[in-house]
Amino acid sequence: MTKTTKAARLALPVAICAGLACAVQVSPAEAKDRMVVDLVNEPATLDPHQQWNPDSYYVYRNIFDNLVTRDNDGEIVPQIATEWERTSDTETVFTIRDDVTFHDGEPLTPEDVVYSIERITDPDFASPQLGQFNKIVAAEVTGENEVTLTTDGAYPALLAQLVKLSIVPEHVASETSAEDFNANPVGSGPYAFESWDRGVAVTLSRNDDYWGDAGPFETVVFRGVPDAATRVADLQAGNADLVVTLNTDLAAQLESGGRGKVLTVNTERVAYFPMNGAKPPLDQPDMRRAIGYAIDREGIVEGLLGGYPRVVDQMLSPAHFGWSEEIEGFEYDPERARELIAGVEGAGTEMELATSPVYDQRVVQAIQQMLTDVGLNVSIETTDMATWLQDQQTTPDQAPMLTFSRWSCACQDPDGIMYPLLHSSSNWSRVNDPEIDALLDEARSELDEAARADLYAQVNRKALEEAYILPLYQAAIIYGAAEELDWQPTSNESLFLNRMSWNE
Amino acid sequence: MPLFLLKRLGQALVAIFGVMTLVFFIQRLTGDPTYLLVPETATQEDIEAMRASLGLDQPLLVQYVAYLWDMVRLDFGRSYVQNVAVTEIIASRLPYTLQLAGGALLVAIVVGLPVGLALAIWRRHRGTNLLMGLVLGAQSMPTFWSGILMIMIFGVWLGWLPPSGSGSLAHLVMPSIALGLLSMATYARIARSSVLDELSKDYIRSARARGVGTGRMVRTHLLRNSLIPVISISALEISQLLAGAVIVETVFAWPGLGQLTVQSVQSRDFVVVQGIVLLGAFVTISVNLIADILYSVVDPRIRKGDGP
Repeated sequence: MTKTTKAARLALPVAICAGLACAVQVSPAEAKDRMVVDLVNEPATLDPHQQWNPDSYYVYRNIFDNLVTRDNDGEIVPQIATEWERTSDTETVFTIRDDVTFHDGEPLTPEDVVYSIERITDPDFASPQLGQFNKIVAAEVTGENEVTLTTDGAYPALLAQLVKLSIVPEHVASETSAEDFNANPVGSGPYAFESWDRGVAVTLSRNDDYWGDAGPFETVVFRGVPDAATRVADLQAGNADLVVTLNTDLAAQLESGGRGKVLTVNTERVAYFPMNGAKPPLDQPDMRRAIGYAIDREGIVEGLLGGYPRVVDQMLSPAHFGWSEEIEGFEYDPERARELIAGVEGAGTEMELATSPVYDQRVVQAIQQMLTDVGLNVSIETTDMATWLQDQQTTPDQAPMLTFSRWSCACQDPDGIMYPLLHSSSNWSRVNDPEIDALLDEARSELDEAARADLYAQVNRKALEEAYILPLYQAAIIYGAAEELDWQPTSNESLFLNRMSWNE
Repeated sequence: MPLFLLKRLGQALVAIFGVMTLVFFIQRLTGDPTYLLVPETATQEDIEAMRASLGLDQPLLVQYVAYLWDMVRLDFGRSYVQNVAVTEIIASRLPYTLQLAGGALLVAIVVGLPVGLALAIWRRHRGTNLLMGLVLGAQSMPTFWSGILMIMIFGVWLGWLPPSGSGSLAHLVMPSIALGLLSMATYARIARSSVLDELSKDYIRSARARGVGTGRMVRTHLLRNSLIPVISISALEISQLLAGAVIVETVFAWPGLGQLTVQSVQSRDFVVVQGIVLLGAFVTISVNLIADILYSVVDPRIRKGDGP
């Protein structure tokens, strides 16, 4: 073998490697028109009336317009409906924009709005979101550009729910199967569906005929990247411009250097700790109060969660309607907890704390430790998410004694969180208090805002007094973003692309 | 021959039926996927409506019979989560898994075989200890760790390769290496022991006596003879590579079947899991069937049923 052939044999691999390196380094330079978002998984669906999970709505909320939306301050503002008026306790009239066209060029009409409501509330369509809209009993076109919605009784949370109602085109959705619509969604939003490479990415392109501001990105690619450390690496390598769902360790890594920055917002997701009063010793209010004093929520937030979340003393967050600045809950006071426990019969009973790997296990273990420190006997029972959900949605005598959980109704309305968690008729509730039931029922149909907020404050005070359920903190969501990306994340965990921009 | 073939085919069908039954019942033992498919705010009626729409409200036996009937008609169902035909989902993921397994196998063979050969031929050389240490190190590194390490070095610091995803040859490099490292070590060890085995045989001694040089001896005598065990472990390695891909695919966001399996098990997407398991069983059983037939061609004793 001569020297030259040896060199030739080496040259090919070297050339290939160099070629690969060049090919990759070109891509970040042209990233300005092309925005890449790393989700955890690919969307389950792009039909906004089907599956409802963050990876899906992060994408489809850009393809579709909603009837109304929330601005960055959390106020409900016009989108497809320009104005609305409550004409009676059960009827609300919406004025529909007349200058909106779907991506296929057809105009958006009041009939499309009616169709969208009928589609999502049709029991045969079996939308997983049915429960959020089934208070709407009728939708009719009642004039030029006018739609009237009728609810089953007075329903103050109507607008808060309609923030999530995406408008689909009747002429497409009614003509094609649900599967075809999912594979080829047509909306009226700022971004039009371009392609869905299953398992790889969803690509959207800017709708240049959008009636509002469509934002600066020509194309946007949503990829599924299950590993959080890989998402951060993507961001730091310039392979992605925005990545979702980071934990505090990765956030610290991102902040400590290199490319990319941390964007965070406190969401409407409330972490809470229900105590099952149907099972002794938790049937004794002093036992539940002792647990309230024993849990150091500040410690959890500062020590484990990077200081991002905000401790709350009510089953609401500041992002909800009805948040009261005046309600104060349990202070961390382990001495007081021990005193109370001393007077409780059977306080040493083993209590199971139900959890699932989806939840932050450090928090669950910290709570167990804090309860052990004051002399209680708590064992952590971990199950997979589906089993956990099933165990939670049952009667109190079957449900676990203690649970760590987090809740968001994506509606920023107390009815969406307090009714399911505190009303005795709900599967999720461990509370059985006729006074709370009456207050919640009254609040559910109270149209006067001040009176309604007051009702929820009363419920919160009562729940605290009896220590039925411990509000822990308003959960934060942590995103990683490219330095050049300007974006203010919002409490409703949406990624509205037309509210983002490059900062050059 | 045809009788033997029929018998083997019958056994393969029974095995597939067994896998189908097992995967059906094991999954249902884990519980009900409905709760994962509805939002937290769903009422009991919503949950029941969803369960009915998936057919999960039926008695288990009824579901099982319906499932078997679907399988007979080659209807593999639709994903609960995505509402897309399972065959379509798997077909879109399969090429990625095959690409990755191919890349990993290439890495394993191209690196593993020469290393094994070197370890055997220069077995008394001091440098081989170092090389052996490297091989052991490569084999001991868990892929989720070596994967992240490579991403940090080549994706973030050096910027040579894209940290994750798919779409070009460059995307394939790191996942292939991460996945190939494990098999590479296996290949090196097998090649080493196989070469050592051959080296002690008479024909090598006579070749040396004839004055054949090391280079020529390796090329003309040793390599071919020591390749036989290497080829036979390749079949095993391929199934190993497909299994190991679960972690590598997750770390590198490589859209193959491994990632799909993890997601589907987590979301209890029974139909998709059934499809993947069935595909795996079919491939494994087919490979074995073919191997059996080939053996019987080579060795008539197996055919007659009184073989080893």
